[in-house]
Amino acid sequence: MNRPILPLIPLCAVLALVGCERAEQHTAQSTQPIHGGTLVYATDREPTCLDPHVAGDMPQVFVAQQYLDSLVSMDSHGQIGPWLASRWEVSADGLRYTFHLRRDVHFTDGTPFNAEAVKANLDHMANPKTQSSTAGGYIRQYRSTKVLDDYTAEVTLATPYAAFLEVLAQGFLGIQSPTALARSRDENCESPVGSGPFKVVRWDRQNQVELVRNPDYNWAPPTAQHQGPAYLARIVWKFIQEPSVRFASLQAGEVDVIEALPPESHEAARRNPDVDLIIAQRPGNPTNGTFNLRRAPFDDIRVREALVRSADVEGALKSVYFGEFPRSGGPLSVATPFYSGDFERSQDYDPARAAKLLDEAGWTSRDSEGYRTKGGQRLRAVVLIGARTPPSELTLWEQVQATTRQVGIELVLDQMSDAQVTSRQAAWDYDIRIGYWNTNTPDVLRIIFTSAFVQPAGVGGYHQNSSGYADTGFDALLDSALATQDAELRRQRYHLAQQQAAAQYLQLTTYPQSTRLGIYKTAHGVRLEPSLAVTYLYDAWVNK
Amino acid sequence: MTSTTLAVTDPRRERLAALGRRAGIRLAGGVLVLWAVATLTFFALRLMPGDPVLAILGGTTGNPSPEAIEAARQEFGLDKPLAVQYVLYLGRLLQGDLGMSYSQHLPVTRVLAEQGGATFELTVAALVLAWLLVLLLTVVTAGRGRLIGGVASLLETVSASLPHFWLGVVLLAVFAFGLRWFPPAGSDSLASLVLPAFSLAIPLAGFIAQVTRESLELTLEQPFVLTARTRGLSDLAVRFKHALRHALLPGVALSGWAIGALISGAVVCEVIFSRKGIGRQLYQAVQLQDLPLVIGISLVVAAGYVLANILVDLLYQWIDPRQQEAAA
Repeated sequence: MNRPILPLIPLCAVLALVGCERAEQHTAQSTQPIHGGTLVYATDREPTCLDPHVAGDMPQVFVAQQYLDSLVSMDSHGQIGPWLASRWEVSADGLRYTFHLRRDVHFTDGTPFNAEAVKANLDHMANPKTQSSTAGGYIRQYRSTKVLDDYTAEVTLATPYAAFLEVLAQGFLGIQSPTALARSRDENCESPVGSGPFKVVRWDRQNQVELVRNPDYNWAPPTAQHQGPAYLARIVWKFIQEPSVRFASLQAGEVDVIEALPPESHEAARRNPDVDLIIAQRPGNPTNGTFNLRRAPFDDIRVREALVRSADVEGALKSVYFGEFPRSGGPLSVATPFYSGDFERSQDYDPARAAKLLDEAGWTSRDSEGYRTKGGQRLRAVVLIGARTPPSELTLWEQVQATTRQVGIELVLDQMSDAQVTSRQAAWDYDIRIGYWNTNTPDVLRIIFTSAFVQPAGVGGYHQNSSGYADTGFDALLDSALATQDAELRRQRYHLAQQQAAAQYLQLTTYPQSTRLGIYKTAHGVRLEPSLAVTYLYDAWVNK
Repeated sequence: MTSTTLAVTDPRRERLAALGRRAGIRLAGGVLVLWAVATLTFFALRLMPGDPVLAILGGTTGNPSPEAIEAARQEFGLDKPLAVQYVLYLGRLLQGDLGMSYSQHLPVTRVLAEQGGATFELTVAALVLAWLLVLLLTVVTAGRGRLIGGVASLLETVSASLPHFWLGVVLLAVFAFGLRWFPPAGSDSLASLVLPAFSLAIPLAGFIAQVTRESLELTLEQPFVLTARTRGLSDLAVRFKHALRHALLPGVALSGWAIGALISGAVVCEVIFSRKGIGRQLYQAVQLQDLPLVIGISLVVAAGYVLANILVDLLYQWIDPRQQEAAA
């Protein structure tokens, strides 16, 4: 018995509020869109592959959003809508999704979009040879796709997975031409083919990616602000690594839009009448230091809470990011569907409580340097800092270090290469691991905190649950949240999950990940695609 | 018979033969250097802590699945013992196969072909610019009394001690951010070449000018300079036509070393000015532990260095034929 789930029940009042709280999100408006012209976009990191199925790092999805369409769309309230699939049904057991596809779509290489294409894409993401970490990781439940007819595809999952449609809306799972996917992975990395408003024409490494308008485009998602081909004739997607150089290029009008606007330039950007800002938080698990529960001292929940309470994160954020980054106090960032604000204050700075907790936990004596000790052992926690950790992140932790010292906890910031960080992580040889996880579903809690993800992922020993938290009740709770399509039930279950994760003090959360665009006066209509707060240039135009 | 023919051989041929021998020895030495570079980088990178598979699949938000890890390990041959990997690697290297870059999923040779041009352009521009600055500064100011010479010499010392990254940032702040004469980033136009070339050329010019000035001042005291002057040549003509040729040698010798310095400086400049090039590529490849790419770039840089030194050696003899007689 199939139950149609379109339209999806609007999520909840909390989310509607959240929508308003997505700070400063506004669209640069001007009178009439102009057709034609080139928009120059500059970002910090260059993707290693343009196909977002392969690996799956944020820079890939930013480019992919311009040339790929997804099966379903997601609006700013977290509601799922049609896109390449015009409607769908989910079986009562949650294991079968039947997608009815648009019939008028073709890829920019001429290949028609149909059920075979859906099958080819899902198979491609799930194929180990694709080395898909993100997309492949999100659809581990995927078993197979059956082509019922040209425009109907039935996807079978191994276990119920209510977050399936949410992850399908992410650009990481964008739909590519099956003809192009049939080539080698490396060839597809270089010149991927989609059905989106733009197509990739040239990737000049370490310099830029060039995209041109797809003149046939006529299948924009309902979240878009116009239909038909894009306004821009061409996009030049440049890589400018240095934040100050990127911002200077924007101020000089050399580029029209920059991404990853450095926080120290926010104020200057606001004062500059030629520059507009779009700042939006990304959904998922905010930036944090995750505690390793599998060894002392963080095997003791009192010590975990004591560290959280002794860390003045608000103060540190103010001094490091000039108050530009808000505090994240709960396990989910504000922009995540089913986020609850109830846990934002569970990590508030409270050194008196930290001291009391440490006394209770038996860390009562002090050594010559003033750190607490127990049985001759100093209260010490090692934070792994990889080479690519941004300097500001390190400064943030140095500030935290200064405040935890006051209650007698020694934080050791251990700097090393990224590969070394990964191997120490694999060996559980750390106390705090800095990370974040951008995704548009609260199911992220299952990936980062349930026992299934404590297991080493393959021979490298890398594990996605870096806390080592393994609680059968918590596992069952998150599985049950996936087993229902009922939004109200999901909300309740994710509320309980957030509550438990917060109460266990598994992480010291710091600030939400964000997309921060600087827009020069020449560019208009630049928006963010809501699923991951990714730049979306379909509605954009330039006036030069 | 041989000895007698040798004795009457055309001295030009003999000189060429000597030159050829010299080039041969230098080339053989160069091959040894390249082998050493390949070996050292291979072991240095492989003995670094950390699993290269995770480096391949890494990225700040990359979270490799077990299947992805296993597939990558097999694809790059990382499941074999280190010694086997080394021998296989050397074998492929001899066939001119530099392997596939882990991070770019491209043949290393292709990465080098795409990125090499920009770095070559930058280093050549910097070298030419450095020599222009040297000639301007030294030929005009050498032997002009203690005040002018002192100021010029101070300027050279200061330039020589400027770090590339600092100079790059200052040039950016003044000429790109402030005056907006040149674009702050990019690698497409000639205008975008100016600032990085200057930030590489100025310190180098300082070094070369120091030695050139000293030898130029010595030369200007030679009797043949006085002879030239008595023939009624103008001061500048004497300096450029007669004195310079004698004074250039130490500077030319230094230029061979400078190629190496320029490439290490190019790493910094390409990062600061967001330019394409093998310098910035090397910087990223090291961070990602992209072994084939690091070795590939190191080899090309080493080869460039070896070649430049051979060229300088030959140039040296062309400028000063006395060197050949001493060698022969």
